Amino acid sequence: MSITGIGSRSSLAVQALVDMRHRLDDLQRQLGTGKKADTYAGIGIDRGFVVGLRSHVSAIGAYDDTISSISVRMNLAQSALDRIADISHTTKSNAFAAPSIQGNGSTLAQSTAFAELGEVFGLLNSQAGDRYLFSGRAADQPAVETLDHVMNGDGARAGFKQIVDERRQADLGGVGGHGRLDITGPTLTSVQVAEDAVSPFGFKLASVTSTLAGATVTGPAGSPAVASVDLVTNPNDGETIQFRFNLPDGTSESITLTATASATPGPNEFTIAPSSDLTADNLQAALTAAVDKLADTSLTAASAVAASKDFFGNPPQRVVGPAFSSATALVAGTSTDTVSWYTGENGPDPARGTATARIDPMITVSYGLRANEEGIRWIVQNMAALAAVTFSPTDPNATERASALNQRVGENLDVPAGMQKVEDIETEIAGAQSALTTATDRHRQTKSALSDLLTQIEGVPTEEVATQILALQTRLQASLQTTSLLYKTSLVNYI
Amino acid sequence: MSLTQSLATAMAGLRTTQAGLSVVSANVANAETPGYVRKSLVQISTAAGSLSTGVRVDAINRQLDQYIQRQMRVESSGASYADLRAQFYDRLQSVYGVPGADATLETLYNDFMAATQALSTSPDSASARGAVLSAAQVLTQQLNGMTADIQGLRSDAELGLADAVRQANEAMQRIAQINQQLGFATANEATTENLLDQRDRYVDQLAQLMDINVVPNDRNQISVFTHSGLQLVGISASTLEFDAQGSITANSQWSADPAERSVGTLVLKGPNSGDIDLIANRAIRSGQIAAYLEMRDQILVGAQAQIDEIAAGLARALSDRTTDGTAVSFPPQAGFDIDLTGLLDGNSVTLTYTDNLSSTQRTVTLVRVDDPTALPLSNAATANPSDKVVGLDFSGGMASVISQIMSALGATGLAFSNSGNTLHVLDDGAANAVNVDAVSATKTVASLTGGSAEFPFFLDASASYTGAIKSSGSQITGFAGRITVNAALLADPSRLVVFQTSPLTPSGDATRPNFIFDQLNSASLTFSPQSGIGTTGAPFSGTLPAFMRQVISQQGEAAEAAASLKDGQDVVYNSLKERFNSSAAVNIDEEMANLLSLQNSYAANARVLSTVKEMMDTLLRL
Repeated sequence: MSITGIGSRSSLAVQALVDMRHRLDDLQRQLGTGKKADTYAGIGIDRGFVVGLRSHVSAIGAYDDTISSISVRMNLAQSALDRIADISHTTKSNAFAAPSIQGNGSTLAQSTAFAELGEVFGLLNSQAGDRYLFSGRAADQPAVETLDHVMNGDGARAGFKQIVDERRQADLGGVGGHGRLDITGPTLTSVQVAEDAVSPFGFKLASVTSTLAGATVTGPAGSPAVASVDLVTNPNDGETIQFRFNLPDGTSESITLTATASATPGPNEFTIAPSSDLTADNLQAALTAAVDKLADTSLTAASAVAASKDFFGNPPQRVVGPAFSSATALVAGTSTDTVSWYTGENGPDPARGTATARIDPMITVSYGLRANEEGIRWIVQNMAALAAVTFSPTDPNATERASALNQRVGENLDVPAGMQKVEDIETEIAGAQSALTTATDRHRQTKSALSDLLTQIEGVPTEEVATQILALQTRLQASLQTTSLLYKTSLVNYI
Repeated sequence: MSLTQSLATAMAGLRTTQAGLSVVSANVANAETPGYVRKSLVQISTAAGSLSTGVRVDAINRQLDQYIQRQMRVESSGASYADLRAQFYDRLQSVYGVPGADATLETLYNDFMAATQALSTSPDSASARGAVLSAAQVLTQQLNGMTADIQGLRSDAELGLADAVRQANEAMQRIAQINQQLGFATANEATTENLLDQRDRYVDQLAQLMDINVVPNDRNQISVFTHSGLQLVGISASTLEFDAQGSITANSQWSADPAERSVGTLVLKGPNSGDIDLIANRAIRSGQIAAYLEMRDQILVGAQAQIDEIAAGLARALSDRTTDGTAVSFPPQAGFDIDLTGLLDGNSVTLTYTDNLSSTQRTVTLVRVDDPTALPLSNAATANPSDKVVGLDFSGGMASVISQIMSALGATGLAFSNSGNTLHVLDDGAANAVNVDAVSATKTVASLTGGSAEFPFFLDASASYTGAIKSSGSQITGFAGRITVNAALLADPSRLVVFQTSPLTPSGDATRPNFIFDQLNSASLTFSPQSGIGTTGAPFSGTLPAFMRQVISQQGEAAEAAASLKDGQDVVYNSLKERFNSSAAVNIDEEMANLLSLQNSYAANARVLSTVKEMMDTLLRL
């Protein structure tokens, strides 16, 4: 639109100059900003595309931020899991060494296990920023209680050591409990072994096998199970009878008693008396002694391992009681009476799904962890079982009991087939990590391609603008000079 | 012939030359006067009998090409229309900001999505939650600001109109005055020509404001009409009246009904005719006034509708929960139950059924309307082009609701009943003329911890945004100016993650953050064709970012088109003006040349005088 207000002829000339000046200003802006236009209108037909491109670039930026923050989390989780696996291996090899009880009532393997359990608990409370890595969805809560609370309890809430003690009472059946077995002589010539109740505790009769001549073995049968052996005639020297028991931790132990002619029988031997009813008495006495010893060693160790399964389960299980020695059932501990070792989020879904991140429009990685996942819990509970039991150096059965415990824990730490291992968790996380790496590469390529495209559409080549400025400048100068010349070359000047 | 006659003739020559000089001097003096048309002197010889006896000034003519002048006026309306439109579009473009700059809708939306993405990675992080809220706040502030800017532009258009009307009235008055003066003047005198120059200037001014028709009559007078034939000026002038409104909001709209109109309207008051509303009659199609009107009532209203749609999309995407009805069967009848508890004003129930007689599927949308004066609703109340919309007043209870549905739908064969707030929709059973295919209800979630991912992230000031329809208009109008982040959410950012309190959602649960991200990024929404994107028959359906791209593209395109229209008009107008000037403008060189020849002619006449004097002296000395 032309300017009015001054004479129209000169206004047209001035208008052309003003337009050129505007164009020059615009080119200068282009040179300064590197952008073709400062409005969407000026970008041209590709303006919608540009908006889309920019939103894509911004999304990639957001994905990259996600990747960098979760890769830190994954790396921290991996190193924690590595260390937990290492500790489990160390504990295992320590457990296989011959036990020697120290002055504090613990074996070397136990002291080490306790210290390293502390480290495991620390690792399970690892944080990336303010985020607890092993708490499932409850990322703002520590994954596990303090080791002190877990082992020793917290006020009214029972800790693991108390659970082990209660379970020990329930499994052993108190003084004269014979590991919850009744050993009697119902007839003159027979010996009977009976479980005292239907319960998860104590010895469970598995089998009785005998090579004793003239002996009749019955059972084990019934519920509670009963087995008996009737010495109809006397056995011969060197013949044996074997009682096999299942223990609460799933292991089994057997007692083999050998008939001997010697009047002073060694351990696990019984003297053949002149009559079979007297021999039966000897057999009963030998069996009772052997059962009591087995209760004090293997059963006690197995009880501790079983207690660890109870306590570290969800919810924790504990023996109904007091009067634990005659208990027949387990009950779920509540938050008021039992310390819950895992304080993170529990859910029925797999732990990995508790933390997911979108690293690409189509790719989501799952890297959630729960401290009570089977693979981790298994290590924790076995180490805790090892650490919780103490021995008196004066107890004659102490070494054997320690060895029974060591052996069980050692074998358990060779994770049974089919059970999740810490290494399995690590592999799953590593899968997610490799997805991050490929996504990062892809993002880098896409981003550079998109940015190039954006620059092509929105940007202006500096050389071109500079050339245009030069050309325009020349034109403007020429126009100004011509205009001035035109105004000067008026007839007015020549009259 | 006598010497005295020669003396008189030479004197006449001197007089004429002096008049010529005065014309030249007037031309030179007015060379830069706007509207001044070059004058030229027409002289004729006077004769007595067979002898030429002298010379006299016959007329002072204006050198102009009337055809081009008429053409130029038409184009000047067009040029000022295009120019003002381009100016407004340019200002509207600045509302959308510099592409890619920090404070643009696209950047802020991208930032909001990035913040949400970060939150879904770290739902427990207080800083991630804060970042989402502040990104959302900046986004709503941007929408609020854009609304204020757009309404500011509308307000400017309103003021511009008032100003333009004042100028038009002034020009019309002046034209009428000059018409009257010309009635007494003699043609072709210098004063007459100057009056014509002045009048042309006022007509030109008027032509810039609106498209006019100029009809000349005898005695040099003119009548001015609007394009539609309404007389603006004759011997006396009509008056334009414009009742400018002080404050313009998104809800201020022009309407033919004075009771509903909340912006100014343009009324022509003739000296001897009634009032005529020029907007209602579409009497003005070009010029600045037309551009102002188009901006105020269409373009800017459309731009506002677009960002309102964006705001409404944001709010609804996060707060609307659609639940399907449960299938029920009372043999031989079958149908669906839908719970209407919590159905807010503006929420809707969608019912799809098949008319077995014509085997066509039909959709009915039942909308809760709490303002009974807004009833009945038109089918255009929803974006869906093929549904029948029934507005329901819930104040009379469910029984009344059911009778409203029945009377609105007529004889469809569908049976409606209720138990409590549950609506049963059943088919006609054994007759099998109709089957109910689906029933669903879309409700706006009003609680932050209602147990679902949906939640009221954005509010209309402090109320839920439901798209409620009132007699004064829909809630969507101007929503972009009122949208805000829920204050309860700002007070407790944990609600971005916690969607239920019992059992308490764990702080690391990404359900809600993922929902927000998915809705913002990929949820498909249908947008009203009132935004100018999509048509009534095929409304635009897509994600929020896609709609935003469309908006930005469309606005950019429109602005670019307006700019090129302006450039085109300028070229046409300027070339016409150039041509007009080639005859009408004062050329100093030409005037100087005339001056020289006048000087010569003056000298020659003077020479004749002195020669006659010598001859007289000679004669007297005889």
